[in-house]
This record gives sequence, C-alpha cells and structure tokens, in this order.
Amino acid sequence: MLNKLIELSLKYKVLVIVLFLAISAFGYKAYQDIPVDAFPDITPKQVVIFTESPGNSAEDIEKLVTYPIESALSGMAGVKLILSNSIFGLSYVSVFFEDDMDIYFLRQLVSERLSTVSIPKGWGKPVLGPNSTGLGQVFWYEIHDSTGKYTLSQLKEMQKYIVTPLFKSVSGVEEVIGWGGYEKQYNVLIDTKKLQDFSITYEDIVRALQKSNQAAGGQYLEFNKEQYLIRGAGLYKTLDDIRNTVVKSFDGQSVTIGDVAKVQEGKAPRFGSISIDGKEAVMGMVLQRSATNAAKVVERVKERIATVNSALPKGVSIHTLYDRTEITHKAVSTMTEALITGIILVSIVLFLFLFEFRSAFIVILSLPVSLLIAFLLMQYYNVSANLMSLSGLAIAVGMIVDGTVVMVENSFRKLHEAQASEKPYVKLDIVMESAKEVAVPITFAILIIAAVFIPLLSLGGLAGKLYAPMAINIVFVMLGSLFVALVLVPVLILLLLKPAHESENAVMRVIKKFYTPLLLVALDNGKKILLFVSVVFVVLAYVLSQQGREFMPTLNEESIMYRVIAIPGTSLTQSTQTAKKIEKYILKNYPQQIASVLSMIGRSEKGETAQPNYMEILLTLKAENIKDLPALTNKMSEDLEHQFTFVQFVPTQPIAMRIEELLEGVKAELAIKIYGENQKTLDAIAKNIQNAIKNVDGLKMMQIETQLGQAQIKIKPNYLALARYGISVDEVMDVIRYGIGEASVTQKLEGIRSFAIVPKIKGAKKDIEAIKKVTLRAKNGTVVTLDEICDITVQQGASFIKRENLSRYMVLSMDVEGRDMASFVKEANSIIKAKVKMPTGYYMSWAGSFKNMKEATQRLMLIIPITIFLVVLLLFTAFNSISKSLLILLNVPFGFIGGIIALVLSGVYLSVSAIVGFLAIFAIAILNGIVLVSFIDELRGRFPDVDLKIVLKDATLLRLRPVLMTAFTALFGILPLLFATGVGSEIQYPLSVVIAGGIISSTLLTLLILPSTYFLFYGKKK
Amino acid sequence: MNKLLMGLLTLSGVLFAQEIHIPIEKTITHAFKKSVALNAKVIQLSNAQQSITSLVSGHLEKYFVKPAQDVKKGDKIALIESITVSKMSADYIALRKQYRAAQKNYEAVKRLYEKGMTSLQKLNAEAIKKSKISANLTALKSQLETLGINAGKLQHATPNFLLRAHSSGRVAALLKPLHSSVRTDEALVAIVKNQAYYIESFVPIAYAEKIKIGDKIVAEYAGKKIITHATQILPKVDEITQRVVVLSSVDQKVHNLFIDTYVKSTLYFGDAKPYVAVKKSALSFFNNEWVVFVPSEGETAYMPQVVQIITQDDKYVGIKGLQLGEKYVSGESYYVKSALLKSSLGDGD
Repeated sequence: MLNKLIELSLKYKVLVIVLFLAISAFGYKAYQDIPVDAFPDITPKQVVIFTESPGNSAEDIEKLVTYPIESALSGMAGVKLILSNSIFGLSYVSVFFEDDMDIYFLRQLVSERLSTVSIPKGWGKPVLGPNSTGLGQVFWYEIHDSTGKYTLSQLKEMQKYIVTPLFKSVSGVEEVIGWGGYEKQYNVLIDTKKLQDFSITYEDIVRALQKSNQAAGGQYLEFNKEQYLIRGAGLYKTLDDIRNTVVKSFDGQSVTIGDVAKVQEGKAPRFGSISIDGKEAVMGMVLQRSATNAAKVVERVKERIATVNSALPKGVSIHTLYDRTEITHKAVSTMTEALITGIILVSIVLFLFLFEFRSAFIVILSLPVSLLIAFLLMQYYNVSANLMSLSGLAIAVGMIVDGTVVMVENSFRKLHEAQASEKPYVKLDIVMESAKEVAVPITFAILIIAAVFIPLLSLGGLAGKLYAPMAINIVFVMLGSLFVALVLVPVLILLLLKPAHESENAVMRVIKKFYTPLLLVALDNGKKILLFVSVVFVVLAYVLSQQGREFMPTLNEESIMYRVIAIPGTSLTQSTQTAKKIEKYILKNYPQQIASVLSMIGRSEKGETAQPNYMEILLTLKAENIKDLPALTNKMSEDLEHQFTFVQFVPTQPIAMRIEELLEGVKAELAIKIYGENQKTLDAIAKNIQNAIKNVDGLKMMQIETQLGQAQIKIKPNYLALARYGISVDEVMDVIRYGIGEASVTQKLEGIRSFAIVPKIKGAKKDIEAIKKVTLRAKNGTVVTLDEICDITVQQGASFIKRENLSRYMVLSMDVEGRDMASFVKEANSIIKAKVKMPTGYYMSWAGSFKNMKEATQRLMLIIPITIFLVVLLLFTAFNSISKSLLILLNVPFGFIGGIIALVLSGVYLSVSAIVGFLAIFAIAILNGIVLVSFIDELRGRFPDVDLKIVLKDATLLRLRPVLMTAFTALFGILPLLFATGVGSEIQYPLSVVIAGGIISSTLLTLLILPSTYFLFYGKKK
Repeated sequence: MNKLLMGLLTLSGVLFAQEIHIPIEKTITHAFKKSVALNAKVIQLSNAQQSITSLVSGHLEKYFVKPAQDVKKGDKIALIESITVSKMSADYIALRKQYRAAQKNYEAVKRLYEKGMTSLQKLNAEAIKKSKISANLTALKSQLETLGINAGKLQHATPNFLLRAHSSGRVAALLKPLHSSVRTDEALVAIVKNQAYYIESFVPIAYAEKIKIGDKIVAEYAGKKIITHATQILPKVDEITQRVVVLSSVDQKVHNLFIDTYVKSTLYFGDAKPYVAVKKSALSFFNNEWVVFVPSEGETAYMPQVVQIITQDDKYVGIKGLQLGEKYVSGESYYVKSALLKSSLGDGD
C-alpha cells in the first residue's frame, strides 16, 4: 500500500504539488482561525444550583434547602459527585457529571429533577448557575466614575441596568455578575412601639404594602367602533404613594403607612464589597458560556465597551480590571516563539548536517507543511491553540523531520551511488526505489512515536484534560509529517535533488574522527559496557523513585494575587476596611511596581460561596518595572504578613486559583477531608490530626477549615409565652424576616428597574439588646417585646456546612514545602493511622491536587506497560523478529538515564510534565534504534559474508549522520522550551529538561552500545 | 463613678505591626442605672375635667365661650332663657312688695298696740305673717343668687340665666347645641383644668418589680422632653396591652399638651446598682462564650477570660469573671481574637 502511494505520488507529481499548496493555504487559514486559549478546557461537566435564602443560617439552609436538592439530584444518570455548601443566606449544590455528557442535556435533567424539590415558602427558589466553567470569568471591569458625583448605589444601578444587559447580549457571554456597591431599596421604617397607638399589628403593615402595590388588566371597552384598553395602574410610583397606603380604616378615617412609619431610600444588606486603591467601587465579571472561546468572547466584549460607555452618564466609564486574553496571548506567544525558534534551530542543524542546499530545503520545507496539516486537523477536531496543544507541536518539531530526513538521506545516498557507478540511470526509478525502501521503517517509526503519546490521551481527570491536547497534537503533527514524508518528499526529491559530488561534509568528518575509535572499543567490550550501563540505569531508576513528585508546576501568570482570610464571623465592614488598608499599604510601599490594587471581599451577586471574612486581592503590575516577579511576590507576601498579622495571606494567581478550586472544592494542593455528621466531632478529629502530624517534615502550614465560629443570635419562640399573648410563631418569624432581616415584601418598579420595599423595624439592629426589645403587637392588642415571647441567646454556630455525596465533611488543608507530596502523605498517613482514633461513621481521605497526581500516576502505571506492548507489537510487525524488537526496546533505558540525570541535576520534581518528557525520550530512543537496526539488517543482507563486527562498524558509521540528525533536531527542537521564560514556560520546563537529557544519553549510548548489543545478540549465530 | 474613672489607669500595648493599638484598662465598679423605653399616653385624670351644668331648665340662647378658650372662675359661659328663672324673679319681686306691705302693716299694728288700741294676739299674727314672707323672700333670694342673679338689683322679672364658670380652665367642649332646650343639671360645657396632666406609661411586666413611686419618667412630646415622676402605679394592668400602667404627673407647664397623644417615654429606675464593669467594646464571643481578653504572661500576649454578663448600659457591661482593678483589653478585641484564632483559619469558603 505504501509502495502504491509512493508510486502514485511520483506519477502525479504536479497534482501532489498542487495538493500540498492547497493544504498549506488551508492550513495557514486554520492557523489564523483556530481559537486561542491559555489552557485547554479542563473544567469538569458540572451543573451548579444556587438557592438564595436571604438572612437564613447555614444549619437551617442545609436542612430545608440543600438536603432536599441533593437528594433529588442523587441517583441521576452520569452523576460522579455531588458537592454542596450551605452558608449564611445561600445554598450551593454542585453536581459533577461524566465528561462525555452534553451540558445542555444535563441542565435539562437537573431542571426536571429540581421541579420535584419542595422548599418551604420564603426559603428561596433553586436556580441553575450560569452555564459557564470554573475558568469562565474572562473579563473583569470597574464602573469607574471620574466625576465623583455618583454614589455607590447609583453605580450599582448602572451596572445592573445599563452595563449588564449590554454585555449579556454579546455572543458567548453567559452571565454578567456584579460585585460591590449598594443595592438601593426603600425602607419603611417602623417604630413598632407605635403600633399600639394606632391599634394595628406589624402584619397589617406587611399586608397593606403587599396589597396596595398592584396592577391589573381590565380587558377592553368598545366605544364608537374603537377599542379602548382598560388598565388598573395601582403600582407605587412615588414614595408618597407608599406613605398614603392605608393600613386600617374606621369611621371614615384611616391610618396610613405615613402615620406609622418613615418611608425613605436606603441600602439593602450586602454580602460582598469591592475596593480599588483604598476606595470602594463597583465591578462586574463577564462569564463566558461553556464551550465558547475565551479570546473571542473577550474580543467581542471589548468591542461592546464603546457602546456601553456611550450609554453610561458622562464621566462614568468601563475600566478593565482583568482580561483573560492577556495571559492567553502571552501563553500562546511563548509557545509560538518556542515553536518558531525550534523550527529555525532545526533548520540550521539540518543544513549543517546535510551541508547541501537542496536536501536541506526539502527537509526544512517538510516542517511547516507538517505543522500546517496539524493545524488543519486541530481545526477539524476543535482543538484550541493553547499552552498545552502548542507545546505538543513544539515538542514534536524535532521529530517531525525524522521521516523526511531518512527519506532524503536514503535517496541522496542512492543517487550518489548511482552516479558513482557511472552507469546510466533513471532518476525516477532510483527515487522510487529508495523511497519504497524506507517507507515501511518510516511509517512504523512515526506510528510508534504516535503510539507512545497515546497513554496521555487515556489519562483521566484534570491531568487527562490538560495533557490530552498535547498528545493529540503530537499525534496530529506526526501523522502530518508521515503524510509529507511519503507523498510530498519523494516528489520534491525527484524534482529538486541532484546527486552531490561530496556527500560527506566537514562537520561529519570531525565527528567521525572522534567517534570511530570509541565505537571500536565499545564493540570489543560489549558485555562490560552493557553491564555498567545496566547498573547505572538501576541506580538511577531508584533515584527517580525517590524524587519528589508534584502534579503540575505552577503556571506563572505574571500577576500577583492573594487570598486573604480573616477569622470566621468577621464583619463585611471590618473586612472592607482591612482591604482598604492593605491596598493603601501596597500602593505606598511598592509605587514603582504596582499600578493598582483590587480587593474582592465576600461574595458577588451570584456564583460565589465566600463569606465576608474572605477576600481576594489582585494587583495590577507595572510590568516594565518588574525584573524578578517571584522575588517581588515573596517580598510582598512577607511584608504583608508582617504588617497585617490578624489575617492570613495565601499568594495565588487568577487562573491557578480557579484551577485549585476545581480540585474537588479544595483550594489547596494537599488536604485531608474528614467525613461525618457532627461538625463538632469533625472539628475535634481535625484538631487531633493537626496535632498528630504537625511535626512531620516539610509541613509548612496547616489549617482547619473552621466551619464553626459564626456567632449567632438565636431567637427561639417560647410557645407558652406565645400562647399567653396570642401571638403566632408565623408573626414572630415575619418580624424577624422582614423587620430585622430586611426581606422585601414588594417591589417598587421604576421603569424596568425594581427595588425592594422593606418594612424595617427602626433601631432593631443597633445591638443585641435592641433586638431583644423589638416590640410586637398581637391582634388582640397585647404588646410584647421579642424577649418576652422568645428565648434569645447568643451562641456559636456553623459558618458553613459542606457536604460531599450527601455526607458532611471538613477540610484540613496544608502546604508542603521542600519535600515531595507523595512521601509526605505516606508518612503523615501512617502517623494518623497510629495516633488518631476515628469514631464510628467518621472517616478521612486525602484530597487536593495531590490526589490528581496519584490518580494520574496509577493510571500511567497501567497504561505504560500496555504502550510498551503496543510498541513491541509494532516493532515486531516491522522487523518480524522478537529479538530485534527487544534489542530496539533496550535503547529506551539509555534514554532514560540522561533524562533522570537531567531531572535530578535541575532539581525538578517528577510531574506529569516530566513523565511526558520520558514518553518523548521513549519515542526518540526507539526511533534511533530503528534507524540503526534496520540499516544494519540491510547491510547484513547485502554483505552476508562480511564479518558482523565490520558490518556493524560500517553500518553505524554510515548511519551516524541520520542518527545524529534525528537526535540533534529533537534536541534543538526542544531547546527553546528549555530556555523559554514567558508565561507558561514553567509548565514545559520539566518536560524539556527530561527530553534534553534523554536525547543526549540516548544518542550517545545508541551509537556506542546498540552495535555492541547487536553483536551480543547475533554475533554468536555467525 | 467619676472618681473611679479618674483613677482609671490606661495601659496600652502595640500588638501588631500595622499600628493597631490594643488599649488596656482596669476594671472599675460602675453603677448601672437602667432605663427602658416605653410607650406612653398623655391623659388627664377624671377629677381634672369638669362639666358646667345648667342649674335650671330652659332654652340655650348663647355661649359666651369657644372650645379651647381659657376661662377664669366666674366668667360668663352661656345664656339660658328659663321660665323657672322668669317665675322666680317675678315671684321675688312680688314677694318683696308683699314684704314691704307686711312691714308697713306690722308697724301700724305695733303703733296701735302701743296705744293699746289692739291686742297682742293681733300684733303677733302680723309679725308671723311678716317673717313668713321674709323667709320666703330670703329663700328665693338665695336661690336666685345661687343662679348668679343679684336679687337686690332685680327690678323686673327676667327669664335670663347667665351660666358662669365655677373654676378656671380651658373649655374642652360645648356639649349642647345652641337654641336647644336644657334640662336642670344638664352639662353644657366641659372644662379641663390646666395643670392636671399625667403621662400614662405602659411598662412591660418584666420591670414590674423594679419600678417605684418617684422614678423619673421622661416623655418626649413634640420634640420636647417632659420630665415627670411616677406618682401612681395602677393595681391592674392594662387589659389590652398587658402592661403595667404607671402614672406620672406633669409638673412643668407645657403649652398645647393634647390629651390622648401617644408619646415615647423613658423610665429611669431609681436605684443604681454597682457592679464590676468593663467597657462594652471589650466583649467578644469566643468558643461559644462571652469573653474579655486579658494580658497574659504565657505563650500568647493575651488570653480569653470567660465572663458572665449581668447588666449593661450604653457604654459599660457589668460582669462576673474578672476582679475589680484587673487589667483587660478594653477595645479592638477583634484583633486579639484574630491573633488567637489565626492558626485555625479555614479557607473561608
């Protein structure tokens, strides 16, 4: 089949050229059109259900809202995990599904199930969260008022009613979330002591407000052949309308709202705030819809900004706070640069080795063409251009040319031989013959390279999602290069290549001069060398097993961000003040490096479960003044920790933070989850574990996620007292809900804008005593204070309750430094088992990114042997000999030796990235083996009578150039990644370290040891 | 208490680099004078309101006063045309004439008797006749004077009866329409006495035991503070509101104080009990208990001391759990708590 393909290509050479021109053109277009992204979409299939239940406590929300939702959703098809978090005022349930399911279908399913959930009236309505991903917050902006005229409430109103609708209508935008400022509401301030004066109850006021704000349609009237619509317009228009609402009337007189209460504009209670450079502000976050491209969405959003600005009042405009595309472009350009530098370096290497313009041209040409084919495939299969997928191409750059190099080299040699023989020859025949000769080895070699990377595709979870695009792209580009080598290259050889006079260049001569004596020594001492190398390999394998491991090196996003945590129960006002102080401190002390500081305190309108004691601080850097970002981050962290000792600073970065969150709701690299029902018991177990492992080596910081610690004022109705005074629990709860909790009873509509009307009890929130003294009037006229009919106590309650698959859990998160996590976990685990006793029904498990690493490693342990088997199978098919397959496979440890040494020397942990590097070495080593062994076989076939040692020596020397070429191209292809410094380079660093080391050792050892091993295998047969 | 405050020693410690000043003070004894805000009503006790009744039946011709008009004792209130008065005045004039005639008769008989021209019996009969008329006249005169009619000056019979104020006060209401018939003893005008207002405060049962006669109750009326003192604690609670009713008399003069107005009042309990006290800003809720942080020599600079809250006012909290004069963190307890809890900080999410 391969032969037929080559024949056809050579026959229709013009067609082939046209075909490749077309491919190149379309490939280039694909390259331009492919969506770019910083990361592959690593977010799991997830549907989030929010239930806003204003003013209610975590405990009650868990029982009345979260649990019914969870139980309705459990047992659905494809559900992997249900996580929930019940916090003050909000229930958050997150359902994780199998990745192969359609998100719209899943949302539909969840909606159906939700309709069966019954939640008590007044406890909120479950809604599906935005159809976005964890990394969906692509664009943050501030509603900036340069005039200073507008209040925070007004800015918030602009955000909600001007900016949000405009951004929301941008294609690909799922949701726009506002944060900060105040929501306007209308307070009906009631002095409940006065209810006695007018013989009315609080309920009367609530009902009066609800009943009076009404509109109705009265159908139509036909009059003089025309239709007149009838409209009852009873909605509140002015504050006086509210004041004039009748609460009670008698004898033609009436008591109105205005008699018993003051009606005025106020601010709704809030759960989060925003502060920028020491001043409170209003911001918004644009969420991209899942399965859309961040860069494109942001681009369209930015186009919309002009419209938004023109709709905003003069002096108010949109200021960008964070733009995901910046990091995307940086990451993509890091990779593109590496790719281009790789191409140039590889081209130089090729030219130096071939030292012949035409052949070098053919080989170099195959590089972009193969890449363009890969881009075409990427576009077809919807793979975005991101850090991982592009790095796949960059890794492959050195290997793309391998097929072409072999093809060109063989033809070059054949043509040279034909010319040297001085017999007349037909160029087409020689080209065809030489192409056919190497077609099979090339195909198998490339297939093997592709096969080697397939295990990455099978990785599950986060690792799989991260590294699959890399593997896919390597496969794409290798298949592209195979196609180029088999179809285009023979044609180019036929058209361009001319037999050279001198096929040996100066570089090769020098190399051979040094290499030949070494080879002879190696051939004579095969056994000893093999033994020595084997020992070295075993020792290094042991070293590797002791090497530290980590899941993924941290992506450098060229930004500084902090998660700042204060003690639970901290008020929003306090946190906002702290934020302002931190901002001012940073701006004062780092004026050269920091342009602006943004703090996001508590939670936004929707989509967040943070409490007021939690904030995120994002710094806008003056990049041009910063030379060493990590050093600056370290210094600043130290400074801040020293200055603000009452809060905790956790340095992070925008994307990294969201990724951390995706790791099963645990924002730490390593954590212990303790499961069980009673929060106090969980807390005690966590403390025991903390005590048990606090001295384990490498533990830098450990924190129990304090779920308790939220002070609560518990108002428990005293039924006897209620009976005595004739007041129902319902009335008491209404006073708590509306009067104290400021829940809205109705809305005042201003155009389409709606604002809550709140019957707020005057002075109720002054202090605890004030709550106790809130007065109620029963229908029968009895007047009581709240503490007369309720037991009011202050107690410590849950600040949030987390559940996983219907079971409560608590998190003990930790930071490990100067030590790999795997060994830390092993040691800590054994200590916990020995020292901490778990009551029945309580158990623990490890979580965090470490868990992903463990899962990835376990899967690789299974997949790698399968891959090796597959490779052996391919080798066996190619060589039809088990021993030769094994001989080639023996090359792999040679490559690993260098990889391990490089890894250890550079001090890089063993990560999935490094494992990818080892896979690449695996491929390169096999490739080197194939090139050499197949040629030795060919020579042996041609000169059956010549001594094997001489054949081996000649074959190796003859094959030295292609072997070195494949090695050097691979090496130089990877070098740009090794020395890259831009965003994303650190993720590829372990991989490039391993590959660089591996290539060197693999090449050296292949050239020396493979011939002698071959001799050991086959020497005796002679 | 001021002396105690004078003796207060203020120490301070700087715990945090961010110049958070942790104020340290010593506990003091503080007399807690408790007050409670109440709902109250301006009232007037029933004896302070008077109605002016007509002493005769007749026809109401004219009111000399308008509602809300201040009147003095003796001021004309209303004019009533009464047949009774008319008859009485006519009778009086007739009787007066009769008396004069009887007087003359008596003197003539007396002269005759002195001359011995008539008998003593005859003279006695004339004397009895005269005194009878005199008695009738005196009775009628007194009746007329009761009605405010000067009998001495009466020349002609008159139906006019002038109703006058019998005490000073303010006209609260005109009770009968003009030109209507009036019966004897029917009230025509209500007059309230100026200086007999009370504040009726409704006190929750919880304070029933504490309140004493003489406790200060300050009512807020139209932006003005009216200081009153409890004069009466009614034996029965207000049936509707189930509150103890305390009356306090308004001693100062308040212009335009309207009855039945609901006002806010504050009751100040008489006796002030002294307790060991800390500033309210020292309190912190920690591990399910109220604590006050105290300086410590141990691992941490401060440690929580569990306290029991006994009473409190706006600034101080009376507590059990600390000794008098013991040093404590009197403010910024949040930061001290943060320092202690920081090691166990969670993810906050």
